[in-house]
Amino acid sequence: MAANARHPQRLLPRWLSTTVIVFLLLWLLPVVYMVLISVSPDLDAAAGKLWPSKFVFRNYLDVWSTVDLARGLMNSLIAALTAGLIATVFGLGAAYCLTRFRFRGRGPYITSLIGLQSVPSVMIILPLFVMFSSIGSAIGVQVVGNRPALILTYLTFAIPFATWLLVTFLRQIPITFEEAAMIDGCSRFAALRKIIFPLAVPGMVVTLVFALLVGWNDVLFASVLTNPQTQTVAIKLQVFALGTEGGALPLYGQLMAASLISSAPVVILYMIFQRQLIGGLTAGGEKG
Amino acid sequence: MWPNLVLLFVVIVIPFALAVYISFIDLDQYTLRSFFSAAFIGLDNYKEAFATAGLLHSIWVSLTFSVLTTAVCLPVGLLAALAVNTPFRGRFLVRSLFLIPYVIPSFVTATVWRFILQPNGAANTLLAKIGVDGGQWLIGSRAFWALVLVDIWAAWPFIYMMASAGLQNVPGELYEAADMDGVTWYQKVRHIALPQIRGQLLLGLLLTTLAHFNNFTLPFVLLGTPAPDAGLTLAVNVYQTSFQVFRFGLGAAMAVVSLILTMVPAYFYLRAARLTAAAGED
Repeated sequence: MAANARHPQRLLPRWLSTTVIVFLLLWLLPVVYMVLISVSPDLDAAAGKLWPSKFVFRNYLDVWSTVDLARGLMNSLIAALTAGLIATVFGLGAAYCLTRFRFRGRGPYITSLIGLQSVPSVMIILPLFVMFSSIGSAIGVQVVGNRPALILTYLTFAIPFATWLLVTFLRQIPITFEEAAMIDGCSRFAALRKIIFPLAVPGMVVTLVFALLVGWNDVLFASVLTNPQTQTVAIKLQVFALGTEGGALPLYGQLMAASLISSAPVVILYMIFQRQLIGGLTAGGEKG
Repeated sequence: MWPNLVLLFVVIVIPFALAVYISFIDLDQYTLRSFFSAAFIGLDNYKEAFATAGLLHSIWVSLTFSVLTTAVCLPVGLLAALAVNTPFRGRFLVRSLFLIPYVIPSFVTATVWRFILQPNGAANTLLAKIGVDGGQWLIGSRAFWALVLVDIWAAWPFIYMMASAGLQNVPGELYEAADMDGVTWYQKVRHIALPQIRGQLLLGLLLTTLAHFNNFTLPFVLLGTPAPDAGLTLAVNVYQTSFQVFRFGLGAAMAVVSLILTMVPAYFYLRAARLTAAAGED
């Protein structure tokens, strides 16, 4: 494989690969358009102009007062990060047991981790919403709209996913490492702390980033379980979009600026962790 | 292990059981506060879902949507992976750019395309330049095609990533042997590369189909609610029934049906995954 990586094969003739690459780069024009409109005057955007008559950067300043984007970004970060951290910690514990011990139900457990990822989210949110609102009315506290309820909902997806990813990571750490440490007098817990944990850090980072991305991109759960105080940036953006469309002069410039601002953290994270994230996404296909 | 099991039980098993239970009772916003006393109505919700709530129509929309988009994403993603398999100047940049549509959050993709596809938006401006009157894209029967287009725009890099990962593991000797025999590029792709990455591609196909079938964000944000009939996917239908009409029982029945439907491809996926897991382990 190493030799292969140094001499990757030309599989398509040059004309075809060039055509494909050029076509797919042109495919990105809507992104360019989004950037252009974000620096256009509102009149240009509303008229469907393709190139701005003059560049204005005010949109990036004005948008913060037009829509409560800062609160949205903060709410997204808190909800997604908390869910990600909890899922990573619980996932690591479970993944350790799943890769180091053999017990009845281990296979089905691992299989169900993957299966759970194909469960429709509407199937999860409906009972949770009913549960939250009846608990809320039973104890006289508004549960729906509270951040913990949203975080708990994210965990339904984050935990199975985190556990599965960490299983694939821990499998690559040879069991002999801990055995050697234990022969040298470490307890199992000490071996876990001193040997496994440092080796698992890269896997945990990727898991955390993944969980963060899923929470950040969510619309369904947040649209049901948040109020204006706890709305994530996804919901803020959508409310803004629907509000501005109906206006006499839609603020499309600011809408595109807000879109870019809310994508920026995700895109940056992806670019930093590109290799690892692709590895994680495609992990299901290689031997688990 | 145990904490994880307990947490999984709380966040997964209980909601599941509850969803099935809710689908058998007459629960709406009035009975919500006391749902243990809501009337048990057996299969009535299921009957209503099929008869009047448009469940079959939504299944059809979601099914054609996921099959169509996957069918287009496959060749595009595959060609992209094959095209960047060779080193060239700027390869790293191209590979990063390829991921952009997939990386941008769905809610942003949908917002931007909703703007582009407005009656006087950029799409129609372009069409007008070549003398075509664009008209409405987000309402009426065209909404479905708008949905398909935008989804393909955003989703193809996943297949590309799967194919790319597979191609990197194809042993170079296979190609060298083929080169000595002087085969054409098409034969090399068809008879060496494709069979080698078959497993990876099948998995990518299954995951994409499932993700499209369950996709909520894109149709919800792109088309808005209430969604036009042509673009009323199953997930959005369940959402509207539950959280806009507040017929929780009916919504739960539809959700249970959609769960059963996703179980069919998921079953094949799990079987494949178990096989590879077993092969990789012992």
